[in-house]
Amino acid sequence: MDKLKQEFTTLTLVLIPVAVAINLAVGQLVIALKLPLYLDSIGTVLVAALVGPWSGALTGVISSVIWTATGWFPQAIAWVGVAAVIGILAAAFKQGGWLDGPVKAGASGLITGIVAAFLSAPIAAYVFGGVTGTGTDVLVAAFSGTFGLDILGANMAQGVVSDPIDKLVTFLIVWALLRSLPVRLQARFSGEE
Amino acid sequence: MIRLAGVTYRYPRTEHPALQDIDLQVSAGEFVGLIGANGSGKSSLCLALSGFIPHFYKGRLEGEIEVAGHPVRETPLGTMAGAVGLVFQNPFNQISGARFTVREEVAFGLENMGVPPPEMASRVDTALAQTGLRDQAGHSPYALSGGQQQRLAIASVVVLRPRLFVLDEPTSQLDPVGTREVYAALRALVSEGGHTVVCATHKLEWLASFADRIVLLREGKMIADDHPRRVLTRPDLRSLGIAPTRYTAAALEAQRQGFRENRGGELPVTLDQAAAFFDGNQD
Amino acid sequence: MTSLTLFRPGKSGLHRLHPLTKLSISGFCLIASITLPDPWMVAGLYFFLMVPLAAWGGMARRFLIACVQFIGPFMLSLFPIQGFFGRGTTILFEIGRFSLKQEGLLLAADYTVRILAGLGAAMLLMFVTRPDHLMQALSERGFPRSLGYIVVTTLQILPRFQEKTQMILNAQRARGLETEGHLLHRARRLLPLVGPLIMGSIIDIDERAIALEARLFNHPGPKTSLHPLVDSRAQRITRSTLSGLIVLLVLWRLLGWLSP
Repeated sequence: MDKLKQEFTTLTLVLIPVAVAINLAVGQLVIALKLPLYLDSIGTVLVAALVGPWSGALTGVISSVIWTATGWFPQAIAWVGVAAVIGILAAAFKQGGWLDGPVKAGASGLITGIVAAFLSAPIAAYVFGGVTGTGTDVLVAAFSGTFGLDILGANMAQGVVSDPIDKLVTFLIVWALLRSLPVRLQARFSGEE
Repeated sequence: MIRLAGVTYRYPRTEHPALQDIDLQVSAGEFVGLIGANGSGKSSLCLALSGFIPHFYKGRLEGEIEVAGHPVRETPLGTMAGAVGLVFQNPFNQISGARFTVREEVAFGLENMGVPPPEMASRVDTALAQTGLRDQAGHSPYALSGGQQQRLAIASVVVLRPRLFVLDEPTSQLDPVGTREVYAALRALVSEGGHTVVCATHKLEWLASFADRIVLLREGKMIADDHPRRVLTRPDLRSLGIAPTRYTAAALEAQRQGFRENRGGELPVTLDQAAAFFDGNQD
Repeated sequence: MTSLTLFRPGKSGLHRLHPLTKLSISGFCLIASITLPDPWMVAGLYFFLMVPLAAWGGMARRFLIACVQFIGPFMLSLFPIQGFFGRGTTILFEIGRFSLKQEGLLLAADYTVRILAGLGAAMLLMFVTRPDHLMQALSERGFPRSLGYIVVTTLQILPRFQEKTQMILNAQRARGLETEGHLLHRARRLLPLVGPLIMGSIIDIDERAIALEARLFNHPGPKTSLHPLVDSRAQRITRSTLSGLIVLLVLWRLLGWLSP
């Protein structure tokens, strides 16, 4: 709990709403542009990298809550755990210096995406009977039909196709953002201030 | 009310000091204007007066700062914020975001202080009246114009009854209408009397009418601390990156073109003084 | 109040309930939708408790429309996927090498009714509860104020972000680029626009932090409210009862799963 308090300053407090707004606004934009990505965790990863795991996880959790509260994607709340895990993993990678270069950042994203896929699939399979009510269900049907996978397997397959790429792109975007942050903000967040 | 002694401050990761060896004393009830080119240290001084330097911006601070009876270095930010009301340039960033209506936004600070609801309600209504926002009380803060948002920032600070108001270029991001609105609100506030105000601005005409004195900064150092007319008629004003008031400029132009002789009196900085100057009566 | 959430103001008794009461009702319906063993019971919960509640709130029609809107896509996916690819042996008919199984359809129906009631409960809560009042109620009960602040602020600044992304979308549409071109091209075009959007919103957050401090957010001591929330003994009893029921339902179901 003390660690959380240390991590959480007034600056964190004003950063998180902006990060959540980024998650939702870019996520919606991607849907409107019909891209086969989510890009709904950029804010989560950014906060995780700038502040720490708990704040990153919190960003993910609140994003899920708001997707549900606005009625834009009511089922989002079921994956709240996954959203939190993405934040925690991103912070861990940052700590280990894995967000310092584009290749490492991309790899971190890939790994995070795979973990996310493995965590999301059972939720889709057991909470919602194997569907999410979105376009990716077509993929699930395709996997089931073509490969004879069971529901859980098909969800895994769909996840492993979409999630890693999505998170790879997300982590790369955050890497680029971190590099372009003005010096005074970098100083604040790295704890020098 | 304010006492700065030998204050030097460097932001983190910077060698060059933002403030150098500042000595300043302000008594309660005074209105002090703060002028200087961009980067001269006006904002840093405002932040130091409200405690954000050193508590928010860390960095290296030398010297003593005492504001409203609090030694700033030892006083936590929460307490400083109650004693010093800070308004800065960007109206949008000063909306807390925590409340859905203008009235509730103004009440936010009082709620955080634990003020009882009936007292809150009357203080909020007074603050709204003082800043001309009564009609907007039920609107969302984000639906207001820039000038209205800045007046909301002022109301949110006024309602806390701070002992000192610090304003860092309150109208520099506003259009002319917004600027007029904000200065009308500030004028109403100041004419109430009893408030200590430090206002950094480029609107010299305004300071000429209202300020008791003006402090001039250059590269973090205090160059002048004097009566407005004396500071604003300095010949080196332009070289310090400050344009003189239109009244001073007009008078200088008149002298240059030979319409008025340089009889050694002071140049005007307000409309009244300009009228007297052009009438041929020296002050 | 500009509403980003589902909330619509109203004068009904349901609206006037304390936010935590509404939260308990919703929570009860959600837990019940998961734990009740028989899908018919869940259907009963939906039609005989939740829809009447929506009617009491004066928004039965809006509620039903919203439910249809989200359950529709689910059903569209659920029935075929569970029907063709789920477990089961009772074949209803065949298409090529795929067979539609009765057990799959029944399972799909079970899921449908539970999702309907579960998510419906969440939506019902959001329809009749002002988010800031809910946060206020939670803060009074010990929830950290920071959390309430984050949620409410996000709801307020989100529309501004949406305006900006809408501008990006319109610009893409104006150039006919919206859905044209290879996926990779579309993604590549998007990124240089998203970058400045994000950067611009982070660049001056230290000012916002200063403004929050200036509002005495971190001032020590107890907090008060300009508009205290209205509560009653009857509601407190209702909440305790519902909480008790929730615990019972969960325990009952857990025991049911654990026993052979």
